[in-house]
Amino acid sequence: MYPLAKRLTDAFSHRYARAVRETYGEDEAYASTPLGRLALGVFLALLLLLPLLLGPYPMYVATLVAIGALSALGLHLLVGGAGQISLGHAAFMGVGAYAASHLTGPLAPLGILLGGGIAALLGLVLGLPSLRIKGVYLAIATLAFQFLADYAFKNWEAVTGGIRGRTLPPAELLGLPLDTPERLWYLVLLFALPLFFYGKRLLATRAGRAFMAVRDNDLSARVAGVDLVRVKLFAFALSAFYAGVAGGLLAQLYKAVTPEYFPLSVSIQYLAMVIVGGAGTVLGAVLGAFFVLLIPEVLNSFVGALGPQYAATLAAWRNVAFGLLILVFLILEPLGLVGLWGRIRNYFRTWPLPY
Amino acid sequence: MGAILEAKDLHLAFKGVKALTGVSFQVQPGEFFAVIGPNGAGKTTLLNVLSGVYEPEKGEVFFLGENLRGKSPQERARMGLGRTFQGLEIFRGMSVLENVKLGAELALPTYPLALPRAQREGQLRAWAEEVLDYLHLSPFRHAPAGMLPYGLQKRVEVARALAGRPKLLLLDEPMAGLALEEKQDLARFLLDAREEWGITLLWVEHDLRAVLELSDRVLVLSYGEVLYYGPPEGVRKDPKVVEAYLGQA
Repeated sequence: MYPLAKRLTDAFSHRYARAVRETYGEDEAYASTPLGRLALGVFLALLLLLPLLLGPYPMYVATLVAIGALSALGLHLLVGGAGQISLGHAAFMGVGAYAASHLTGPLAPLGILLGGGIAALLGLVLGLPSLRIKGVYLAIATLAFQFLADYAFKNWEAVTGGIRGRTLPPAELLGLPLDTPERLWYLVLLFALPLFFYGKRLLATRAGRAFMAVRDNDLSARVAGVDLVRVKLFAFALSAFYAGVAGGLLAQLYKAVTPEYFPLSVSIQYLAMVIVGGAGTVLGAVLGAFFVLLIPEVLNSFVGALGPQYAATLAAWRNVAFGLLILVFLILEPLGLVGLWGRIRNYFRTWPLPY
Repeated sequence: MGAILEAKDLHLAFKGVKALTGVSFQVQPGEFFAVIGPNGAGKTTLLNVLSGVYEPEKGEVFFLGENLRGKSPQERARMGLGRTFQGLEIFRGMSVLENVKLGAELALPTYPLALPRAQREGQLRAWAEEVLDYLHLSPFRHAPAGMLPYGLQKRVEVARALAGRPKLLLLDEPMAGLALEEKQDLARFLLDAREEWGITLLWVEHDLRAVLELSDRVLVLSYGEVLYYGPPEGVRKDPKVVEAYLGQA
């Protein structure tokens, strides 16, 4: 009796509950254990069902965060991955948004891809100075791009509609108008899921290692056979592509594009996401976007709850609180939210016998 | 087959400081070739010229019979010319395994598209693990390379270079700062790598005893000029070397 039961439970635990990888191949693969696959399945199902679970306003915020996370991932690949810096991320989002605003309705997915493509081409161009300069100097070069783009958004009326911007008819997918955040969510998933998967795999394979090698030590990278020019240009183009796609999706969410959506402060906001989220992982980009985009919402509702008479004073304090939170992170948890998450996970992994 | 590496009359000066003047030598396949010399003799400059970080003003470098002029460091690396650096030039933010895998890319360069990525990655991993095991680094595979103690970091750099299966490996002071025991281990690893994988070694080193014990031939540089070029036994007997390097006895 006992041996049979034991054999059954062993077989079960080996087949389904196995949480340990046994070969190098499994260690390399994505979600290689049955438990890992289960977790991934549940997560994907949750994403697909989210519009049924949340109301319209939370869904609007969720869509905003998902788009933000996608864009943050792009910047993250460039900054955390390849060690380059860009203060022009918002400009790339703007390029994507304006491009997408010209192809909407049933063609919207195409327009968003086109936005990503144009942004990637511009990213390639912006990557050129990175071949010569680094650090603060590169930051200034990208800053110049941000201002140039801003100027173009405001003045190239034929394409951008100038200060008034452009409005978009809702996107359509399979004949269904995506006029609410609940419906637009699926268009966002359609772009975000493959791009997230790609980003995650990229960091774990050849190109990702080349990125990190350039970040850590470019002299050594060259001698180890890494082509600096190709890696840097690819990193800039890829990051701009993510931003462009995110910009296009954002235009669909707002149903409008104006220059005010993509100023320098948004570029800096995205850099903050990368820093708060923590370097090195895709999870960091997501957590950073959550934090940076959600905290103002939370503080907003907090201000709202106190009553309208304080609104004006507290609105200013909201920015201060936000800034303070970021500072606290930089000082107390340099690895960002990812570091925090890692420590929580390790605590429970060894619980209740940590030694 | 002739020499694996041949330097012909190399000249390089930095704003009038002559770093290399008329340096010529040959390295034979399978050799353990040492370059020594006092500080500022031009040893590291020589390695930089060989690996393509600097271009010589005059003279040529031939590797496997091919002239290297105009070839970038990464092209030379792909031809099988490996290199480690003086001091620590590893990828500090990457794990030990990622460091070695990056190096190992050079060992499987020819079919980037033929294999599915996962399978390729698996092959790379298997080879990287072999190198890690060989250099006794396996327990640290997932540790960020920059967090390891100095001696291990040096070993990570050697592992990264060896993983690329270079035909010729240039080592810039691999033993500097290591304890005696670590030096002995490293010497063992290098000799084994030569034996097993047929890697020719060219090293710059300050530890004279190690150099004279291990190397097949020695090149002595001083102020960019060749003082001595031959078997290690002759180094201590050469009057010019004794004067410039070892000091008056």
